[in-house]
Amino acid sequence: MLNLLWILLGGYVAGILLPLCLPRQPNAHIITATVPAIAATSAGVVLGLLGLTSSEPVTGSLASTIPLLTFAIRIDPLAAFFVLTISVAGLAASIYAIGYLQHFDGRASIPMLGSLFNGFLLSMTLVVLADNGFFFLMVWELMSLLSYFLVVSEHEKAAVRYAGLFYLIMTHVGTVFIILTFLIFFQAGGSFAFDTFRHPEQPLPESMKTIAFLMALVGFGTKAGIVPLHVWLPYAHPAAPSHISALMSGVMIKTAIYALIRVYFDFLGGQFPWWWGFVILVIGAVSALLGVMYALMEHDLKSLLAYHSVENIGIILLGIGAGMIFQTYGLKEFAALGLLAALYHTINHAAFKALLFLGAGSLLYATHTRNMEEYGGLLRRMPWTGACFLIGSVSIVALPPTNGFVSEWLVFQSLFLSFHIPDTFLKLMLPLAAAILALTGALALACFAKAFGISFLALPRSTHARHAREAPIPMRIGMALLATVCVALGLGPMVVVPLLDRVVAPFTGVSIENQVLALDGWALATVDVEFSSLSPPVLALLLGGLAVLGLGIVAAFGGFVKRRYYKTWGCGINLTPRMEYTATGFVQPIKRVFSSIYQPTVKLETEFLQESQYFAKRRRFEFHVEPVFQKYLYDPVLAFVAALAGRLRVIQAGSLHLYLTYIFVTLIVLLLFAV
Amino acid sequence: MIPSIGSQLVDLGSALLLLTCFAIVAQRRLSACVDLFALQSVFLALTATLVAFLTGIHHIYIAAALTIVIKAIVIPRILKKVIERLNVSRELVMHINVPASLLICGMLVMVAFLITQPIIPLGHLLTRDSLAIALAIVLIGFFTMIARQKAVTQMIAFLVMENGLFLGATAATYGMPLVVELGVFFDVLVAALIAGIYTNRLQDAFDSVDTAHLSELKE
Repeated sequence: MLNLLWILLGGYVAGILLPLCLPRQPNAHIITATVPAIAATSAGVVLGLLGLTSSEPVTGSLASTIPLLTFAIRIDPLAAFFVLTISVAGLAASIYAIGYLQHFDGRASIPMLGSLFNGFLLSMTLVVLADNGFFFLMVWELMSLLSYFLVVSEHEKAAVRYAGLFYLIMTHVGTVFIILTFLIFFQAGGSFAFDTFRHPEQPLPESMKTIAFLMALVGFGTKAGIVPLHVWLPYAHPAAPSHISALMSGVMIKTAIYALIRVYFDFLGGQFPWWWGFVILVIGAVSALLGVMYALMEHDLKSLLAYHSVENIGIILLGIGAGMIFQTYGLKEFAALGLLAALYHTINHAAFKALLFLGAGSLLYATHTRNMEEYGGLLRRMPWTGACFLIGSVSIVALPPTNGFVSEWLVFQSLFLSFHIPDTFLKLMLPLAAAILALTGALALACFAKAFGISFLALPRSTHARHAREAPIPMRIGMALLATVCVALGLGPMVVVPLLDRVVAPFTGVSIENQVLALDGWALATVDVEFSSLSPPVLALLLGGLAVLGLGIVAAFGGFVKRRYYKTWGCGINLTPRMEYTATGFVQPIKRVFSSIYQPTVKLETEFLQESQYFAKRRRFEFHVEPVFQKYLYDPVLAFVAALAGRLRVIQAGSLHLYLTYIFVTLIVLLLFAV
Repeated sequence: MIPSIGSQLVDLGSALLLLTCFAIVAQRRLSACVDLFALQSVFLALTATLVAFLTGIHHIYIAAALTIVIKAIVIPRILKKVIERLNVSRELVMHINVPASLLICGMLVMVAFLITQPIIPLGHLLTRDSLAIALAIVLIGFFTMIARQKAVTQMIAFLVMENGLFLGATAATYGMPLVVELGVFFDVLVAALIAGIYTNRLQDAFDSVDTAHLSELKE
């Protein structure tokens, strides 16, 4: 397994160095950036699968000259699972990049993009493999910085620079909290090795544990994009090149989920008061609901997808929160189920969100715009992209037979099983979370009905869309790979669940493999077979059967109908794209229903004919959703910091002599203190 | 214990270095300042040679020779050229006038002796008493950077600080390893060159080498 690790590291390092060494030759740059990445991610997939099935964790370390820092790695099932997740999405993105990078010729430095891409993948992989707190923080910071540079790769646009700055500040605020978390563990154990975090010499007092819990939640939550720390996410993720957005949204935010599980279940030993799980559950529910609601109002396809990442992180946290609550009450099997559901949704989301971002990238590649209102009619022009995007959409809205359905079903079941909890309050709260999840699912369906319908169906709404061409073959292969993964994960939970059980078992202490599989492994049960069970393959067969049945009925009874091909009837006038349903129009009902949350501002301007006030010449309709969190939470904080900085400016007079005096006085005072 | 004659000679050399420091602080004419700096460097080289002779450590000879070449000949030339080109001969406006400066410098020497008081008895090198003087020279150099306005004076002050560090290194450990010493000489030379260019640019931008103008760069 260590050999594979060397291939993986070597591949990424080659991918970092080679593109920078070559002379100016775009194709050579693209190949040297993507081929090593493909090799490394393939090694990562195998490494992840091996790590999931091996019985003992593999460890390795390199000492360093810096005190407290060792470059230690440890491949246990949890790390292996995340390596697998990162590598699958990374593989697809690497293949996709062969085609997509050509798009950047002349607009951004291709060798730089390729090199950063490899470095980004490497740093994410090392984040989940790291077995030393110091090393973890190093690669975590590296991951944040590299992704920042990728976000600002089109830095000549002001919006991109703003997004980058916002991201940089938020991620560093988060890192501060992560450092504090690790310092708490360091204080107890005297070392940054994760093993001493797990088994400190003297156990942490309860109060410190609580502080560590909250610090980790804020620190990693910022990266994960939980509400209300999510505000950077819809800016930063769309600003990056699409294959990078796919990795950021699909995978990078999952490293935070990894770290949360690592800290809560591994370091803190899975012993929590009930309210920890409840806090996670509430944050999950709020993130899921608000994420999808803001997504609905977005007409920029990539921003829409970014908001959906907030939603899905919420769903994952619902699973983790339910697992933590069950853990508190000693219901270990259910805890395992909740955690397993969360992890299943993690890899699923990585697959379909990466797929959707790659799809969005293809649309951007073909039409040069991210605004959905300028798409339309693309299914006919880009059938491959359309089909892949459709599979991704079906997955993200959790319809069978795709993967999103299975994992969301598992999350639902673990929430419903709350009737086993002795506490009445929680007994009521968990089903409430399930209800919110149901609402979220319905809104997500509406959102993707909009996203797919407006983008791909009907007539093209702009000349860009009219002249759109299908994406090049490598891009299609990248998308098709992920679409296959989505369907496979949806049809084969019986294979996936035992693997995930190996990840979860060390944390909950029980293996639920046998209880989750029913009907000789053809169906999934929720630990308690009597309560509910599900067989995705049978479901898929039934769905297919229904389709065949429908077609059969048509063939049997409609065979004699004469077919005539005509234009769609438009009441006597020719149909134009202006008559189509717009994305803005589509979401108006939802906007009205939830106006208390959106606080929309609507502006309607009408220009009349000069002759008469009864005939409108032109109407202009605008509506904006109030960015509530920015206005009421971030702006006051920013204003406060700016005011403070203004005060501090007094000492920054700009005089060389003054600065020298500062240094001099400090020196003398310190020397005198030393005596 | 009566200090050996060697130790007393080293102390004498150090004291001469300190004396030149005061002379630099008191001197208004820039070219005289440069000459004083060259003189100080010669004293430094002599002290270093003395230490080398007394201890039999040969590489200090090389460092002393380099001091003569770079600090007593090359850098003063660069500085003179800068002064000539810029046509500034005097330090007209001072943040702190000469008498006050001298008083403060005297206090700094006392501070330096106070600080090194607990350390010196611990050493057993014959140069150990020079440590206090070395620290005093560093502090006076630093103070001169603050008290004077012309960039040229600040450069000289910076170089004085460097001389103090060199003396300190010799006093505390009989000099740094030769490689480090060479590196430091190179750094000083480069610093002098850069500061020369910086002064020229300052002159171009503000028609003056008064560093107080730099605060105009603040938005």
